Amino acid sequence: MNKVLITGLGVICPLGADKHSSFASALAARSSIGPAPADIASRLPHVLVAPAAVDPEALLDKKYSGLDRATQFALVAAHEAMTDAGITTPPTDATRFGVFVGIGFGGAQTVDGLYTRFFSLLHDPTQAHKNPAVMHPLSVPRMMANAAAATVSMRYGLQGQSSTYSIACASSAVAIGDAFRAIRHGYLDAAVVIGTEAMLTAGSLMAWNALRVMAKPDPADPARSCRPFALDRTGFVLGEGAAALVMESQARAAIRRPAVLAEMGGYGCSSDAEHLTAPSVVGQVSAMRQALAEAHLVPQQVQYLNAHGTATEAGDVIETQSIRTVFGRSADRLAVSSTKALHGHLIGAGGALEFVLSIMAMNSGSLPPTAHLEKPDPRCDLDFVPLQARHGCHVEAVMSNSFAFGGSNASLLARRHVP
Amino acid sequence: MLEGLIKNYLISNAGVDPAKFDNPELQVSDLELDSLGLIEMLFEVEDQFGFQIVEPMRYLTLSFEEMVADIEAAVRDHDAGQSPTHDATKAND
Repeated sequence: MNKVLITGLGVICPLGADKHSSFASALAARSSIGPAPADIASRLPHVLVAPAAVDPEALLDKKYSGLDRATQFALVAAHEAMTDAGITTPPTDATRFGVFVGIGFGGAQTVDGLYTRFFSLLHDPTQAHKNPAVMHPLSVPRMMANAAAATVSMRYGLQGQSSTYSIACASSAVAIGDAFRAIRHGYLDAAVVIGTEAMLTAGSLMAWNALRVMAKPDPADPARSCRPFALDRTGFVLGEGAAALVMESQARAAIRRPAVLAEMGGYGCSSDAEHLTAPSVVGQVSAMRQALAEAHLVPQQVQYLNAHGTATEAGDVIETQSIRTVFGRSADRLAVSSTKALHGHLIGAGGALEFVLSIMAMNSGSLPPTAHLEKPDPRCDLDFVPLQARHGCHVEAVMSNSFAFGGSNASLLARRHVP
Repeated sequence: MLEGLIKNYLISNAGVDPAKFDNPELQVSDLELDSLGLIEMLFEVEDQFGFQIVEPMRYLTLSFEEMVADIEAAVRDHDAGQSPTHDATKAND
């Protein structure tokens, strides 16, 4: 089986327009959460959002201007990761280079746009001569879930497998895991993996609001509204953006000699087969144990874990129990944090973003904190790196958890690369 | 004028060389649009006038002038005999 190396990382998210500024914001505990824009707040006055630090369209060539926002985020993150990996032209082994994308709600912006256009024409007397059913001809290819994978594959001339995973909050963690397996088992030699999400639309926020899982605004400071593992938690905040990784086999990298950022250690995935939205210790433990086993690591060899940590009561308490079950006596020496307090929940992009932040934590020795954790929930009794980043840590391996609605669990493990 | 609207779109969005329009014999096929490019171009008109143009692929074998005339006729039909009065300067509004 092939060793799989990570040679490029890219980010555009609420914390920043690239990986370095995003990681710096995470370390500084700079929250990007705030009230929703006026058009959404007029109907949902308490809804909070974590919008991307920049409009992706502003960073792209004009030819990408009509694409769905999630595809635009994917292009920006992929560009940083591919540049990072030194891949700027179509690779000579293009048929062995794949594209893997995780997205929760493909085409959210495009779909919302169609309905907005339809109803505004329908109800506007000055537009009565227009048929509201006439839509942009590229609406379908823009909203299809695999729009980002298709666009990235065309942009870089990548001719290997291109697959899109939609597994709610675990989408891009599974995309990373499956790309890892494809290279590990020799189906591909390289892949760019992207998690992307852009659903801060009126329609999707109304739907999320109805589920009663969204954070209530902190009266003193809305930026502090998402408080994972805290007694005063009230739920999560939707974010948007993308993160990307370039992975390649050690044999491919040996020829190209790129800077290696990490080695993929292991991947685990499982399904609870229990409840649509409630988490399960059994399923989470299974995912984490598979990842450790594949990496041939014992729990005490992992020093940092980026938790799923959504700041819902059930989620935080169950994940704490799962981590304790897997890590046993070494759980108290494990640093765990949820960066969602700062960048919000990026759903399909969350797994990739949090894995990228974990790898950057490993390489820098600086661990991003769990922000706003002033009143810890006694049932959540791990070392959550509260409030402030921790620097000068020696980290050999990191884990990142993503647990999805629908009962899908994914754990990713990366370790330092020893040439 | 519809012709202005379509030309503006082709030059600024589809990357068509403006010099091509100096040729009175210009064929739609000379614009080098693929099937998606063609329907995207027609949407500029459809969006403005609020109806869908039928059988768009037939334009691929017409001259540019014939296509514009045909679209103008379709707009007239849709607007019950009114000539299109679109102001090309507002094409990108």
